[in-house]
Amino acid sequence: MSNLMPDDRRGLGLRLSALQYIIAATFAALAVGFWVFQVAQHDKFAEMADNNHTRRLPLPAPRGVLLDRTGRVLVENRNIFNIALVREQTKNIDETLKLVAEATGADEAQLRETVERRRREPSYRPIVLIENATREQVIAVWARRWEMPGIIYQEVPSRKYPGTEAAHVFGYVGEITEAQLQRTDYEGIDSGAIVGQAGFEQQYNKLLMGTEGNKTVVVNSIGRELFELGKDEPREGTAVQLTIDGDIQKAIEDGFTASGFNGAAVVLDPNNGDVLGFTSRPAFDPNAFAGGIDKATWQELNTDDLKPLQDRALQGRYSPGSTFKMAVGLAGLEEGVITPNFTVNCAGGATFYGRRFACWKHGGHGAVNLKTAIEQSCDVYFYTVGNMLGIDRINKWATLLGLGQKSNIDLPNELVGLVPSTQWKAEHTREKKWYAGETISVAIGQGQVSVTPVSMAVYASTLANGGTRVTPHLLKAKYEGSGWQPVPPPPPQSKVDVSPEKLEAIRQGMWGVVNGGGTGGKARIDGKDVCGKTGTAQVISNAARLIAQARNRNIDYRDHGWFIFFAPRDHPTIAGVVFLEHGIHGPNAAAVAHHILATYFAKQDGKPLPPPPTHDDLHLEYKDPYARGGSPEGGGN
Amino acid sequence: MFERRLFFHVDWLLLGAVLLLSGIGVAMIYSTTYVTLANGVGHPGPQVWTQLYAAALAILALIVCLVIDYRLLAEHSLMLFAALCVLLVFVLLKGSTQMGAQRWIPIGPFHLQPSEFGRLGVAMILAMYFGENRRGARNTSDLVIGGVFTVIPLLLIAKQPDLGTAVTLLPVFLGIAYLAGLRLRLLGILALCGVLVAPIAWKFGLKDYQRQRIQTFLDPQQDPRGAGYQTIQARITVGSGGLTGKGFRHGTQGQYKFLPVAHNDFIFSVLAEEQGFVGVLVVLGLYLFVILRSLEAARLAKDRIGAYLVGGIISGFAFQVIYNVTMSAGLAPVKGITLPLMSYGGSSLIAAMAGFGLILNVRMRRFTN
Repeated sequence: MSNLMPDDRRGLGLRLSALQYIIAATFAALAVGFWVFQVAQHDKFAEMADNNHTRRLPLPAPRGVLLDRTGRVLVENRNIFNIALVREQTKNIDETLKLVAEATGADEAQLRETVERRRREPSYRPIVLIENATREQVIAVWARRWEMPGIIYQEVPSRKYPGTEAAHVFGYVGEITEAQLQRTDYEGIDSGAIVGQAGFEQQYNKLLMGTEGNKTVVVNSIGRELFELGKDEPREGTAVQLTIDGDIQKAIEDGFTASGFNGAAVVLDPNNGDVLGFTSRPAFDPNAFAGGIDKATWQELNTDDLKPLQDRALQGRYSPGSTFKMAVGLAGLEEGVITPNFTVNCAGGATFYGRRFACWKHGGHGAVNLKTAIEQSCDVYFYTVGNMLGIDRINKWATLLGLGQKSNIDLPNELVGLVPSTQWKAEHTREKKWYAGETISVAIGQGQVSVTPVSMAVYASTLANGGTRVTPHLLKAKYEGSGWQPVPPPPPQSKVDVSPEKLEAIRQGMWGVVNGGGTGGKARIDGKDVCGKTGTAQVISNAARLIAQARNRNIDYRDHGWFIFFAPRDHPTIAGVVFLEHGIHGPNAAAVAHHILATYFAKQDGKPLPPPPTHDDLHLEYKDPYARGGSPEGGGN
Repeated sequence: MFERRLFFHVDWLLLGAVLLLSGIGVAMIYSTTYVTLANGVGHPGPQVWTQLYAAALAILALIVCLVIDYRLLAEHSLMLFAALCVLLVFVLLKGSTQMGAQRWIPIGPFHLQPSEFGRLGVAMILAMYFGENRRGARNTSDLVIGGVFTVIPLLLIAKQPDLGTAVTLLPVFLGIAYLAGLRLRLLGILALCGVLVAPIAWKFGLKDYQRQRIQTFLDPQQDPRGAGYQTIQARITVGSGGLTGKGFRHGTQGQYKFLPVAHNDFIFSVLAEEQGFVGVLVVLGLYLFVILRSLEAARLAKDRIGAYLVGGIISGFAFQVIYNVTMSAGLAPVKGITLPLMSYGGSSLIAAMAGFGLILNVRMRRFTN
């Protein structure tokens, strides 16, 4: 039968033993294998396991709040919703993006581009697809969340600006660019971070940005957050106080709005360079950038002929026109070429180097001294003085007063104007040699002279404070934990002691412009001794304008209007400039300045602030004297 | 049929080890399927209850297989084999399909997986066939007949498709043939043939996904989020366990589902992760004990049928354990081969326990006539 015989048993026993040894050896090998993985290589695998299930997610920090000099909030934070993609949670990115585009109305190609741009980041890190999503978009995405795993919405802090007001002061924020990521001053900032991209936001980005926090969470294999392991709270950026006075700023904006003109204005405290108000028109709405600007708006801002993104106060360069005359007058006094009583007889024009230069007043001013010359803006007087000085001495004093120089305001991308000199001409032109005849035009702020509005504000301040070229600045104080820490004003750019009597002659003239029946009468305020000077700068010579206008009617060739001012005359506490682009006449700028000054003094005196002016209140002069007679070089008033 | 004195010959040590392994299996399933809700409280996954019901049935099956004299069973082995084949055919025709394979017969709330019982059926008929003839497995024609008995269910199972389970029939055949005196030279030739046939099988015999599994096993980084994923995750799971493990219910790989269906084929990885190298040694030791102890039962068997039956069952068992454990560490291509006694799955557990019922049966009846 099948019962085992001893022979069988021996053979079976041997084979069983062999099998037992083989199996035991195999198990031993397995044990060794596990030892290698679990003990010898444990650290490596432990780290891999941690990377599997723990995620460090950044928590964006709110930027520092911006306050005005009186403590009123100018720029604050609000939370917005972003719709983002977590790639590790999604199977088919293309399909998901298509669904998102469908649900939100976003441009699919653009979404794809966004994802493509950040493909090198870890796949668990959310990529923001739609910044500042509308309520409808968030709801649409949430409703279809099961169809598109990996699409999340996040609530993140963002900026809230007061509309277009002071837009160029604040600038705007946006995602850090590839180029910025390479730069050392952005070190430690990750891609996708929101940084200041213009204006104050850019200048003080480091201060305002705060410290990003992060949280460590445990996720499962499909990336779902299970629980939080630890959290580093984000630290809000430093709150700062600007030198801006909200009321002055509003007065500037209201004045421009009423005038209907574009341009720029900068108002300073002439004693320390505090910027009390600053605008550039047309402006943009920084809120449009705060949540990621859409392509169409960006395109529009960039292709607009009026260039709303350009900061005219810092980057616009224009002829100063008659406002330049004080620089020539002061140069004449300080160089000993004239005295305040130096008199010129204006017959409506004069001839220099064989060429006739007209005065704006064809009938002539008759005998004028310095004060009257400034008050009446007599061109012949300054032709004469300028001719006596020569270009280099004009250059010296214009520079000392702040023209043709950067103001070094704490805003990015300031451009420099130009006050010519023989050296400049030798170095920068093909002609090389300066002709004395060229000086005559420069003496009334025409020719090659060009200035930025901010440098004009410095110029007005230097005349107001007697020679100190203050550095305009916007940062007044920082909030440091326990309280406000004032930031000392930056040192002046230069200082020259102008003798008081000589300065007085200039100031008298400027006082007369406003209070003595001069061209700046619109800026007059009872009892405040406002001093000022209007200027009208041709965009193009009269003759050329007639031809050009016939060719293209869409280009604005109307003259620019300037008004620089300070007040009160004897102890000025406010100085500045209003520049109306194509504002036709300097006096129109004076009308805008009046509202600024009236607001300033009302506030100072504790009186109710004047209401925003209407267009009619300004009594603007629209008569366009493009066919002014005489020489094309004829200076404006 | 069951004499009282037999009770004293039951190998309690082996039975204890088998039950202990099943218990550890349930504990690991409990740990890895535990559901933690958002509010912090949680509950074990439904798989735990299923496994416990299955364990009860498995113990019942073990008792049945223990009580009925194995020779009586062997006498009816042809009928049992036929029944097995009928079931396997039925599965192919009417079985329920899950994850692309048709493997189950729904019976009320349960899903019977007949393929898991294939090893028992084959072991039974082969033990009978080789045990009853005097020549054992020395004769090639007998080997061929034995081979046919193996290949029929093998092909039926492979057709489901469930190549993993199908392949486990081979060690049963080889184990019995080996004990029945298979010439070792022939074994060598078979091995040689295997090596020669492999490239052809690679080209024609395997499906795309099977080829890919082997390829990605050899180089898992080739497709770390796709086919190589399980292999990589298995290694991470095991390696991150360290010497003493992350602790019960503290495994991250299994709990957070980085290792897919960990409670099933990768239950040993869960053990390695949570109990560490120490736990691995303990469980490996238990399995080794069970296998060696079972082989002792074969040695003690009164007749060849008993010895071959034990040898066949334990060969299949040992193959499964070794392959599954190797795969658990990401050292073998991922195949649907469960870890007997521990893996989640009723049929697998019941079949394994029934197998040990038979092994205990043989040992218990070593003195009977």
